[in-house]
Amino acid sequence: MTDLRRRLRVGMVCPYSFDVPGGVQNHVLGLARYLRQAGHRPYVLAPGELRSSTAALDLEDFASAGAAVPVPYNGSVARVNFGPLSAARVRRWLRNGKFDLIHIHEPVTPSISLLALWAAEQPVVATFHTATPRSRSMQLAGGVLRAAIEKIDAGIAVSESARNVVVQHLGRDAVVIPNGIRFDDFARRRPAMRAEPFDELQTTLAEARCSTGPGQVAGSPPGPPPRPRLIFIGRLDEPRKGLDVLLAAIPLIRQARPDVEVIVAGQGRRALPSWCCNLGPITEEAKIALLNSADVFVAPQLARESFGIVLLEAMASGVQLVASDLPSFVDLLGAPQDKERRGDVFGVGDHRALARAVLEALERPDPLQAARAQQAAKAYDWSSVGMAVLAVYRAALSTAPSTLAADGEV
Amino acid sequence: MNTVEILAVIIIVGVVLVWRISWLATRVHRATTRAERTWSVLDAALVGRAQRAAELVMMRSIDPATALLVLDAAVATLDPDLCQRQRELTESDLSHVLDAVDPMLPARPSELDMERARTSMYRRLHNDAVSTALALRRRHIVRIFRLARRSVEPRPFEMAEGTFCTLMACPPDSLEGSTSSLTTVMVREAEN
Repeated sequence: MTDLRRRLRVGMVCPYSFDVPGGVQNHVLGLARYLRQAGHRPYVLAPGELRSSTAALDLEDFASAGAAVPVPYNGSVARVNFGPLSAARVRRWLRNGKFDLIHIHEPVTPSISLLALWAAEQPVVATFHTATPRSRSMQLAGGVLRAAIEKIDAGIAVSESARNVVVQHLGRDAVVIPNGIRFDDFARRRPAMRAEPFDELQTTLAEARCSTGPGQVAGSPPGPPPRPRLIFIGRLDEPRKGLDVLLAAIPLIRQARPDVEVIVAGQGRRALPSWCCNLGPITEEAKIALLNSADVFVAPQLARESFGIVLLEAMASGVQLVASDLPSFVDLLGAPQDKERRGDVFGVGDHRALARAVLEALERPDPLQAARAQQAAKAYDWSSVGMAVLAVYRAALSTAPSTLAADGEV
Repeated sequence: MNTVEILAVIIIVGVVLVWRISWLATRVHRATTRAERTWSVLDAALVGRAQRAAELVMMRSIDPATALLVLDAAVATLDPDLCQRQRELTESDLSHVLDAVDPMLPARPSELDMERARTSMYRRLHNDAVSTALALRRRHIVRIFRLARRSVEPRPFEMAEGTFCTLMACPPDSLEGSTSSLTTVMVREAEN
């Protein structure tokens, strides 16, 4: 008899293309990395291509569902694939993989995730990432969709708001397990960061022709004093990420602090004012360095942010935080009147309040507040999050009519 | 329309109806048996919680009154003759007692917290499975053709869970510390 600690073959399905970075894709890779460290074997099926083997995933364990088609979905452009060819690919992958368990991300999207849910015969764990109700299309799709949703053995929602959508619109329930971060990667360099120039970031900044110099290096008295650095990370061309609010606030901030330096990073093209430095899409390493070099991190998102993973990473880095008061952000940072709050929130879309909050953070930086944020972010490290996910895997395996039981292994 | 055509239409409609009914019957069966399995797992988790609670008595510096209170509540849940309603009440009582004695305990054993978190998770999964099964079983077509007649209607398990540190809200250190206990519980479960 084998105990449940044996090596699990987990087939993960991600609906969004690996050709572009994204929250769900990062989550899948982070979980895969944790599973491998815990001695299991993750496989991933997703659109697009994995460029090379990483600590999270070997190239041979990644299966491509083909080139993805960009379609507008959920307020942004999602690159997904669908159709009979994809369905056949998904079925073949499920049949050949000999998985103990299938973990499907965003099962209710028109993508390989739904196809996999439809075809799966193994125990199914599903993670719901978005907090966007789609009740109308849900009702219209009716029986077929409902029958697919019934097949989920254990649901995971990344936040309470995502869970509410699952309960209200899908008639199911889910265990709340937030997204994970690699806490040590983000937290590690913070104290030393400003004392030593970080090469990659400097190169990236130089390539983007940003005016930074040795002024960023603290502990080097000669030279000009460091300019306060304000950063934004997120898609630049999506209105809901709220870059417009930040850009509207900058002139107000510059009235009081003309030396403020604004750096934005993320996918998407858009024209920006000359005083705003655009790094474009950045690597994970550069993101860590950028967060570690910043004075204030701004999260001006307008809506539909089920789980602010970048905000969490910013919390881990110990930077001062200013965010819009979306429920999920308030959950992370605490309400404005909370004495133990971990960051400052302002009214969604209110650029004047944003400017006030940023100036406040620049004038009176609160290291204790940042330290509280860092402490809070630690609970979201993959070591805790991954273990909770594994507990759900165990639950799904022990409650599904499992192939394990049929093999006489459990 | 001649007789052959009418007959053909009847046969086609009949086949579609039979296919639809058998598909629905499969779904009802799947949902109902899942609810049965989630119950057995929840049942085991509740027993595990009671066992961990009873083990508090063995803590070195626990006072006898607290010990008696906890032991009494834990043993009450293990009575095999309880009906579900009584079981729900005794399990809720155990949750309340565990919350009440928490400040009195010299240390908070992470195994108990883990057990409570697992109970909470399994209960959510069970009630989810039950509501899925019930939604299917209450459909007209399922009732008319009595597709669920061979199985007992599942029931949700309602109880107070009290406050405890959940899978996620635990400080990472305590979670790490209890890794072994979680796996031993899992193994024990697997062996049963």
